[in-house]
Amino acid sequence: MMRYGILLMGAPYSSQAAHSALRFARAVAGRGHRLEGVFFYHDGVHNAARLAAPPQDEPHLVDGWAALAEDHGVSLQVCIAAALRRGLLDEREAARHGKQGHSVEPPFELTGLGQLVDLGLRCDRLVTFGP
Amino acid sequence: MLLHILNRSPATSEVYRQALSAMGAADRLLLIEDGVQGALGPLVECFGDLTGRLYALEEDLSARGLVPLCDASVVKVDVEGFVTLTEEAMRTVSWF
Repeated sequence: MMRYGILLMGAPYSSQAAHSALRFARAVAGRGHRLEGVFFYHDGVHNAARLAAPPQDEPHLVDGWAALAEDHGVSLQVCIAAALRRGLLDEREAARHGKQGHSVEPPFELTGLGQLVDLGLRCDRLVTFGP
Repeated sequence: MLLHILNRSPATSEVYRQALSAMGAADRLLLIEDGVQGALGPLVECFGDLTGRLYALEEDLSARGLVPLCDASVVKVDVEGFVTLTEEAMRTVSWF
């Protein structure tokens, strides 16, 4: 059993990165490894969009990540600096910036870049999926 | 030994050159996403002599209808095999 981390930098439905990362994540968990966390960075933060509503006959990536978190206790960490400037705010940040509504909710959490460093240090393997 | 992961076709991106120049003598190269086009006929020659160290992700070949065209010198792995490759490598490096 090894500890894994994933860094995802591709937006959903723009490139294959998010699909690849989710497929890899499921395979890692399926092989009995511990997937510690997924860090969403750059355009990858769009994977945390609470309001994503893809057609029903397409994979729902946001729900896919949430299911992964629920089934395997994977933490879903979203870079706060990349998220805020793209309009991805949780309830707390929305209130802080005077915005109506919020676009990020648990199990996704807004965190700092330090968490990515920590993930890299904690895990035996960190695999990056770029756009 | 490092696992290098490439998601760009050598027909559309030069990034494979950087991957090759960064690779050590025992390192492995896995082609994923559009990178699997590099597993076909003439394009596979872009990778020089990586015999036994060049892999392509079967799911991505299959999604593009390219499984029958994959060069015999390329090792096909499914996503489980992808995980195995990451287990066997000390670290992974992604090129995109």
